[in-house]
Amino acid sequence: MAKKKCVAMLLAGGKGSRLNSLTKDLAKPAVPFGGKYRIIDFTLSNCTNSGIDTVGVLTQYQPLLLNSYIGIGSAWDLDRKDGGVTVLPPYSESSEVKWYTGTASAIYQNLNYLKQYQPDYVLILSGDHIYKMNYESMLEYHIEKRADVTISLIEVPWVEASRFGIMNTNDDMRIVEFEEKPSNPKNNLASMGIYIFSWNILKEYLEMDDRNPDSSHDFGKDVIPLLLEENKKLFAYPFKGYWKDVGTVQSLWEANMDLLGEDCELDLFDQDWRIYSVNPNQPPQYISSDAIVKESMINEGCTIEGEIDKSVLFQGVTVGKGSMIKESVIMPDATIGNNCLIEKAIVPYDAKIPDGTVIRSFDDEIILVTEEMLSGLYPTY
Amino acid sequence: MKRKLLGVIDATTYHDDLEDLLTHRSLAALPFGGRYRIIDFVLSNMVNSGIRSVAIFPKMQYRSLMDHLGSGKNWDLNRKQDGLFFFPSPIVDSDGNKIGSFEHFAANMDYFYRSTQEYAIIANCYTIFNMNFRPILDWHKHAKCDITEIHHQDGTSMEMYLIKTSLLIKLIETRHETGYTCMKDVVTAIHNDYSICHYEYDGYSVMIDSIESYFSTSMKLLESDVWKQLFLKDQPILTKVKDEPPTKYVKGSWVKNAMIANGCFISGAVENSIVSRGVKIGKGAVIKNCIIMQKCHIEENCYLDSVILDKDVKVEAGTHLTGTDRSPYVIRKGSKQGALMNS
Repeated sequence: MAKKKCVAMLLAGGKGSRLNSLTKDLAKPAVPFGGKYRIIDFTLSNCTNSGIDTVGVLTQYQPLLLNSYIGIGSAWDLDRKDGGVTVLPPYSESSEVKWYTGTASAIYQNLNYLKQYQPDYVLILSGDHIYKMNYESMLEYHIEKRADVTISLIEVPWVEASRFGIMNTNDDMRIVEFEEKPSNPKNNLASMGIYIFSWNILKEYLEMDDRNPDSSHDFGKDVIPLLLEENKKLFAYPFKGYWKDVGTVQSLWEANMDLLGEDCELDLFDQDWRIYSVNPNQPPQYISSDAIVKESMINEGCTIEGEIDKSVLFQGVTVGKGSMIKESVIMPDATIGNNCLIEKAIVPYDAKIPDGTVIRSFDDEIILVTEEMLSGLYPTY
Repeated sequence: MKRKLLGVIDATTYHDDLEDLLTHRSLAALPFGGRYRIIDFVLSNMVNSGIRSVAIFPKMQYRSLMDHLGSGKNWDLNRKQDGLFFFPSPIVDSDGNKIGSFEHFAANMDYFYRSTQEYAIIANCYTIFNMNFRPILDWHKHAKCDITEIHHQDGTSMEMYLIKTSLLIKLIETRHETGYTCMKDVVTAIHNDYSICHYEYDGYSVMIDSIESYFSTSMKLLESDVWKQLFLKDQPILTKVKDEPPTKYVKGSWVKNAMIANGCFISGAVENSIVSRGVKIGKGAVIKNCIIMQKCHIEENCYLDSVILDKDVKVEAGTHLTGTDRSPYVIRKGSKQGALMNS
């Protein structure tokens, strides 16, 4: 294997339990987003656009669909002769089966994968967030600061600061203190969970953490504090831009709604930073003479005969006559019959909504439509 | 099927009436249906019928066709064994416009000599249809004819032929003695040593040979019974995929009876039209009965009725353009059309 300057490790093993039925059979990074994509497309495309051609994707929870979606990585230009994308599930060693118990142990168990490429730097990412970022700029910053570890930070609203890992820095952006979910945060700079490690430091500290039986083997909770204790050079890389954690039904819906409107912060039409994905390859969408489409995003393969208002429709969705879809997210291949009303809801992939169904939220809580819900409405469903 | 039938796409035709749309491209590469090129239909049908060896014979301006086909990956024809073969023959082309397809085939005989498939299907590149060729091969074997010609229901030829590969080789090799320049010559010859059978196809199929048929067939796509016959889930029309975002409709958009591809940004009105990938339609613009090809930019308050815009056309704000359905107004690729221009 050729030597690589920087190899990315993408943590994609999470369950995303707060997404309820959407992640029952699907790992969170494979959850559909934005009318066409899956959450992991953003991190993978960021790697491609940043010039990183070697990415290890660590899967664990319900990996079947995620694995087949990634395939050999052609969609993101990551099918390479040397490097490219490699799916890394947990594997058994001669002594025992090892599951990934924490983010740090997951990387630790794959040091052999990294050793093949003798990297100078390792970029650690998660596949949970929607954002566009040039990792090469972050790497240049890491090198310039002669850092041991660089952590990417973003300003969050003060009211939310206590949900995040908060960094306190000095004037040179060196991290002097790290508070995980503090009740009284000292500032509002939150860790994005994106780290660049110099290779030797990563190896040394993962080994140290592994030997500690009291550790939960998590980067944020264990490894970063350990590095700070040992006075290693940790620097903060400030990020400005759209960044959204789509771990709850509410935030997933909000992030989809963020895409509508003329000037939205996350520009999917930017030709200089394309978001790649496995293209569904369906015929162009058809908007009938009865249809009304207002302020929405619609993907190929859709057949629209009803009214679509402020909604995001994925590929292959059918909406029947007289139906009204408002402020909703309709996932791939869902069929919505005639005379339905769907308002403030997420309709999952392949759902079949019978004629005349009314699903609307009267408060601000977004409804995630489930089979049980439809069986409740239609006992013979 | 892999071992029994190979596909030959004769892309050597040129229709004078389509000249305005063919200045930069061959007929096979003519964009159609918002995201396809005409050749995608016959090529996808071959692949969906289980054919794994396809040879394409283009003529002259084949750069965009070659770019579109690439290695054949999008049709699953990027194979170690068999796959997609692209055979331009520039020496043959330099002899003029009316050279028969046999001359093009003859310039690449190795493909035929090396093929292991017993039968060949030879098809033109400009038919819009969705057909499985498997039943036709079975029928041909059963009918024990030398050549099966596929016909429309009204008796007109679809210019598609099924023949034993060995016989095809013989016809190509003996073309100077026999005077046959193409398959059409063979089946229409008055005196013939070969038995010709006709297979009648009753599905939707239209050949594009003029601006008028291009326009009317495109508009037919807006009818659901045509759409349902062409775009079948288990026999999809495959094409080169692009990474475009879903189409965005913003305030001011009004769309009725239209087929819209991905990557479009629509702020205006669109009716009875086909809009291709990456098209921007500005506020107050009205597009009626039009075919808008890839990456066009139609600025605010334009009015277009019965217009065909080739790729990358920019229509400046306030421009009015009108054609008729028999004679749509065609704007060539890459042009800029201003409000004060006369034509």
